Amino acid sequence: MPLKTIKKDTAEALTLEWVLHVKDYKLILDKNRCVGCQICSLACPKEAIKTEKQPKIAGEKARKAKVDVDLSKCNFCGICDILCPFGAVKVTIDGKHVLSVVEKESFPQLIRDIQVDASKCPAGCVECEDACPLDLIKVAWLRPDGRNVENLNLLTETEKAALKAKVDVQKDYCPCCRVCEIKCPEGVMHVRKFLYGKAAILEEKCPEGCRDCLDVCPIEGALYFSEDDRKVHVNEMFCVYCGACKLVCPVEDALELKRTQINHTLVRSGAWNKALERLASPIEMTKELKTKGSSRARESVKKRVGLRGD
Amino acid sequence: MPKRATRKKSKAVPKVRIKKAPVKKAKPKAQVPRVGVFVCQCGSAIASVIDVNELTSYVKTLPNVAYAMQMDYPCGRQGQDEIIAAIKDNKLDRVVVAGCSPRLYEPTFQRCVSQAELNPWLFEMANIREFASYCHKNTPKEATEKAKDIVRMAVSKASLLEPLKPIELPITKKVMVIGGGIAGINAALDLADMGFKTYVVEKTETIGGYMALLDKTFPTLDCSICIEGPKMVDVGRHPNIEIISYADILKVDGNVGNFKVKIRKNPRYVIAGNCTGCGECKDACPIEYPNYADMYLGVRQAISVPYGQAVPLIYTINKDYCIECYKCVDACGARQAINFDQKPEEIEVDVGAIIVSVGYDMYNPKDLPWTGYGKFDNVFTALEFERLILAAGPTGGKVVRASDGQKPHSIAFIQCVGSRDINHYEYCSSFCCMYTLKHSVMLKEKYRDAIDVYVFYNDMRSNFKGYEEFYNRAIKSGVKFIRTKLENRKVIEEPETKNLTVHGETEEGKPVSANVEMVVLANAAIPQQTAPELAKILNIPLGKDGFFTECQPKIRPTDTDTPGIFLAGACQGLKDIPYSVAQGSAAAAEAAAVLRKDSWIVEPLVAQVNDDLCSGCRICESACGYHAINVEKVGDKELARVAEGLCRGCGICSSACPMDAIKMPNYSDGQIVAQVKAVLEKSVKA
Repeated sequence: MPLKTIKKDTAEALTLEWVLHVKDYKLILDKNRCVGCQICSLACPKEAIKTEKQPKIAGEKARKAKVDVDLSKCNFCGICDILCPFGAVKVTIDGKHVLSVVEKESFPQLIRDIQVDASKCPAGCVECEDACPLDLIKVAWLRPDGRNVENLNLLTETEKAALKAKVDVQKDYCPCCRVCEIKCPEGVMHVRKFLYGKAAILEEKCPEGCRDCLDVCPIEGALYFSEDDRKVHVNEMFCVYCGACKLVCPVEDALELKRTQINHTLVRSGAWNKALERLASPIEMTKELKTKGSSRARESVKKRVGLRGD
Repeated sequence: MPKRATRKKSKAVPKVRIKKAPVKKAKPKAQVPRVGVFVCQCGSAIASVIDVNELTSYVKTLPNVAYAMQMDYPCGRQGQDEIIAAIKDNKLDRVVVAGCSPRLYEPTFQRCVSQAELNPWLFEMANIREFASYCHKNTPKEATEKAKDIVRMAVSKASLLEPLKPIELPITKKVMVIGGGIAGINAALDLADMGFKTYVVEKTETIGGYMALLDKTFPTLDCSICIEGPKMVDVGRHPNIEIISYADILKVDGNVGNFKVKIRKNPRYVIAGNCTGCGECKDACPIEYPNYADMYLGVRQAISVPYGQAVPLIYTINKDYCIECYKCVDACGARQAINFDQKPEEIEVDVGAIIVSVGYDMYNPKDLPWTGYGKFDNVFTALEFERLILAAGPTGGKVVRASDGQKPHSIAFIQCVGSRDINHYEYCSSFCCMYTLKHSVMLKEKYRDAIDVYVFYNDMRSNFKGYEEFYNRAIKSGVKFIRTKLENRKVIEEPETKNLTVHGETEEGKPVSANVEMVVLANAAIPQQTAPELAKILNIPLGKDGFFTECQPKIRPTDTDTPGIFLAGACQGLKDIPYSVAQGSAAAAEAAAVLRKDSWIVEPLVAQVNDDLCSGCRICESACGYHAINVEKVGDKELARVAEGLCRGCGICSSACPMDAIKMPNYSDGQIVAQVKAVLEKSVKA
């Protein structure tokens, strides 16, 4: 008898479900977190995810592309979950967020390298919290006994000096844009991007006065509008190469976006190679395979010869 | 021309006749034919309506009739002896039997005349039973007049009949079984044991069919796979059997003795020869998808077998779900059985006979809103229930509800869901009563008083060996049987508890109901989805119910109208396991009867092309429905050629030919015109 499936699309979330007698597979796309970027649709091995450009209403800001998942193609593998830079997709089995592709090492995970040295935090500083474009950072101040401080202004300077800072970053949802790192006055935050690439706007093609890309860019500061030439420019320092801008740009090829490298755990996986090929390019995929190959070669030499180091 | 159409379908003339009756030279044309007419009374089937005396005396007055007599049963042994004697005594050279349809008895009488050393095609049948006595019961006078017309036509044609020579075709001593369910398995094993090379073509990954998915069989409660499994293994290991699984039939050409079957082997992405069935790939695979063999209640890996006893035990990658991480390739290692680049492969197989045993499908009761199936969590189909109660099933044999995973304390079985319903499937699905009894007995014997079992039924059909006793066992075990009409039944869900109430109405119109925690539907079994396509490929008919039509429902239940193609199992009509097994063996015996012959004799009633007249215009080619006539290069001319094994003698090419170059033996223009003249003769007189 046919499989029982459910697809629900609300303003908050898109939910897909396979309801089996013994197992329940669920995919939830959190629309508040989804920025309408290219990553999941490119990463999906089953080509089940489509992005749809939303029509622009005159006088209004551009709207982010809509992400839709085809229930007849989705196999609940969770690759979109793993690769979403913003953590907008969750795939669960029987309500548990356990991904078989990770457990069985058939797909790597992103490395979100975020180091926080809160000991350096100047008392009362919340720059990072304010700077985070996605509201993922919470700074708290703790007394030596561990109690939370509600209002810093009520404390004396000596009391303030004894305080310890606690910086909470919701890593699972962090695209590692490095805005917090740059804005931090004391070098508390250390963030390594996991998506590298090249983004550029071709001035000759970019229409004057158009701000569509800027409207949808999830990272404040990655794109900016210059009043000089009335055009949008890229600040690659903050860009996470998600491609949300690319999807809404009204002019073909005005926006150049290339991903070159993705920081991930080391796993031998054909599925990853294919995903990388689609997310970056066949050249990047080959490069990575070569590096992996040479590192494996090095490892085996090390094992056999008993040499240490590189 | 119904007679013409049926003629070609009659079974080829037995060999006996050929040996005993060397073809006699036709008498020189100038000589006046001596026609003998034998009028059958058929007990009272003809004589009670038609005045046979009057008919016989009339026949004697017809031109060329040298002898006429009336007989009680010419088809009987005594009758045939009389005919043989009459032919010899009166030096008859043409014979007409006025009796029933040639479909039934023409071969008998042809054999009879050849025993009298007359060419069997110098025989003609006049059907005065179906065409006169049966259909004009209330007007005997007119019926007698019509019978005279029919016989007069037959005599005028018979006078022009010419002796013909039968056509012999070679026979390929191999056989194909399409569909590897329990019927096909038995047919294949029987044929292979008889020494014939047997191909079993299976659409899915494994043979076994539905029986392999069942828990127990009624009425003995034998474990289904335990009794079928060894047979499946035998098929897999038999030196004379080749299983072509995960394959589709694309095209069948040729005819009895010489079929050419084109098959597409779908890619498993696993090399059959290298796969050892160890299952290490499955353990490495991270992807799961709903398992059809579990009725989608459970899952299987993207590289897996549907169940452990699968034959052949070759793993298959489902590319619809596979993410191609190649973990399986690593796991397979040195065996190197995985090949992601495998392509569909087309092969051609020559066989002498084909057995069709493609089985059935199950109706999706979602179309019946009253059942609540698909809407209410705890409404199941019988096959889903089968997978629940099966120890190797997705729940490990625990019967649990979908809504909360709890064991139900009460279950209602509802019979005739979709079947015995003129709006859906008018027929009875035949095995549901018995499997419901099986399920209820199993539940009662497993859980005893901890479970209430209700069966909402209309008629309990337990009509074979041991079945009624099994029904009694169910009654004794405490199953409550509630007889209702098939109309006005309804399942209602209590949204809070997800419990269900089954409502029905007794024959007297009194409402009855039961509150239960689970409902199991005996949904209709329906024709195999692929049956229409296969019927087209094989050129064999489907009945109006969608099942393959047998040649004769009572005495030739495994034959099709096409010689060399046989039916077995539920694809011919729904039947339970023992009957499918028996029919599988029956079809095997029928096929063997073909295969063991040295050659196949075809009636010579096939199109004949006059090469001097044929212009190679190809009109006949497009007119033929059997691809039996094709224009080919012969020397420096293009001429129409007839594939004698394929030609059904329908005559379409003959009438389409603008050059009048195609002749149908014994249906020549002259013979037909003679018949027309004969029937018009009297009307003109009248």
